[in-house]
Amino acid sequence: MFEKILIANRGEIALRIIRACKELGIRTLAVYSEADVDSLHVQLADEAICIGAPPSAESYLKIDRIMSAAEVGDVDAIHPGYGFLAENAHFAEVCESCKIKFIGPPASAMHAMGDKNSARSFARKAGVSVTPGSDGIVGNEQEALKLARKIGYPLMIKAVAGGGGRGMRTAHNDASLAPAFHAARTEAEKAFGNGDVYIEKLLLNPHHIEFQIVADQHGHTVHLGERDCSIQRRNQKVIEECPSPLISPGLRKKMGHAAVKLAESVGYQNAGTMEFLVDNEGRYYFIEMNTRIQVEHTITEEVYGCDLVKEQILIAAGERLSPHVANATPRLHAIQCRINAEDPEKNFQPSPGRIVFYYAPGGRGVRIDSHAYTGYVVPPYYDSMIAKLITVGATRVSAIARMRRALDEYYITGIKTTVPFHSAIMRNADFRNGTYDTGFVERIMNSDNFALKPTPTRLHEESLTLDRRGS
Amino acid sequence: MELKDIKAIIDLMRKNDLSVFEMEKDGFKLKLQKGAGDQTVFAAPANGPPASAPAVAPAPVSPAVQAVQETEKGASLREIVSPMVGTFYRAGSPESPPFVDTGNEVTEETVVCIIEAMKVMNEIKAETKGVIAEIVAESGKPVQFGQVLFRVR
Repeated sequence: MFEKILIANRGEIALRIIRACKELGIRTLAVYSEADVDSLHVQLADEAICIGAPPSAESYLKIDRIMSAAEVGDVDAIHPGYGFLAENAHFAEVCESCKIKFIGPPASAMHAMGDKNSARSFARKAGVSVTPGSDGIVGNEQEALKLARKIGYPLMIKAVAGGGGRGMRTAHNDASLAPAFHAARTEAEKAFGNGDVYIEKLLLNPHHIEFQIVADQHGHTVHLGERDCSIQRRNQKVIEECPSPLISPGLRKKMGHAAVKLAESVGYQNAGTMEFLVDNEGRYYFIEMNTRIQVEHTITEEVYGCDLVKEQILIAAGERLSPHVANATPRLHAIQCRINAEDPEKNFQPSPGRIVFYYAPGGRGVRIDSHAYTGYVVPPYYDSMIAKLITVGATRVSAIARMRRALDEYYITGIKTTVPFHSAIMRNADFRNGTYDTGFVERIMNSDNFALKPTPTRLHEESLTLDRRGS
Repeated sequence: MELKDIKAIIDLMRKNDLSVFEMEKDGFKLKLQKGAGDQTVFAAPANGPPASAPAVAPAPVSPAVQAVQETEKGASLREIVSPMVGTFYRAGSPESPPFVDTGNEVTEETVVCIIEAMKVMNEIKAETKGVIAEIVAESGKPVQFGQVLFRVR
């Protein structure tokens, strides 16, 4: 088993990894930027090394400094978390050449699935249906036009090196195709250093369903069911739930089998997620694979009764899949709300700054994965997520009631957060009925009867002095 | 030059009551000075990287960030901070004298120390003009980004 692990990440996921390490008796080394010196993950790690200035490009993305820190700290493994270098095959290769275990898939699997076009190709080979689209990279306008004739509009032009909902453009007709094509290429070149694009048919308001894959280094691959991540704002997930209200046991079996087959075809190891789009007729299409642990791994953990981060570490150390993971079945229902430091009243404008007072909900069936605390200064340099609020219930109805209750107890003052936005969704009829798709958030925000639901104010505001401390 | 050669030279110096011996050959420099504190040939490994380390490379490092610090006497001290993560060494090798000592004058181009990262010896320049007031980092110990190495008057 590893003796010491370096956590190449920050925020809530760094904390999550440190907690798993502590429970496994593994020493932890945190690396951090100057903006994160007071971060909880830095305080709780056994050792910490500053690796650079606040901007990610000068710290969390600096492979040389992270490897230096790994050498100085004499670690035997690195956990990359999600984002940053988690899906950087070169980083995985550097770790390997330094004889430090990269807690994730082999670089070859990352190469195979990291390129979205290559992933589609592997899917086709494995007999997994993909969204109708180009057979490979679309090189120019003429090719794009020819494809449009063949599969029809609307179309989505996507960067092969993209991901996380970025580097995409839609085209609804011939007139908009050329500008969208060029815009996508330009943006992709700038953002990912690779302007290559492919084209997919744009499914109207599909459901985003993803399957959790776990595979050990001995060839044993399983899936831990699906997560419904259709509730998105601007292609960013905001609420996730497990299981999906849309997926029947039969469809789960079919899609799960396809996901496992595809993972095996690229020799996948460790944790990963297969993403699909599903229409209302139960037709599913593979879109991409995330070769890392995901933000929403939490709800799968609650429903299937496992610790995925611990499992990642065990797998990387050469252990076979834990029996309780290999034979896991869904028992409960879980929902996750991503709490962001954003102002929902001002078009979700980022709201970094000092958290004056922080009180997180508790009680039965409530889980908080967060690095926030009273007095913590949310830095402006990174993503705006400050907490994940997860509720678990025996049924979907009880999980929703619990989330409603928990959001009403969540006090975060000093900055704006998306808590009122989530509270409003928990009270929305379509959400409660389980009839929603990826167009849901835009529809409700444009509707007349959508109102943010702030956390109820305390009855005796004047007598409460906690707010005024520390500002 | 091997250790036994150096030992032989020291022996000769002692026998003949010499206080300084200096030689240079093919880019290799050696200075032995009697009674000069840490400038001995048997420098503790902490004074320089292990002899098996590869040759010093004039690595292109980004300029060390400087900060102004007020002392009790009101004079302002500038800090030379580490631009990287690695192991700090005051000298280029175990046999060499330190690059700088307190009281030494430095200019922007003066090499003040080595930070070893991933087997590459990076020469760190002062990036400031003045006199070394304090040696803050410990030779042979790891340093992180932004850590204070020297204070300069």
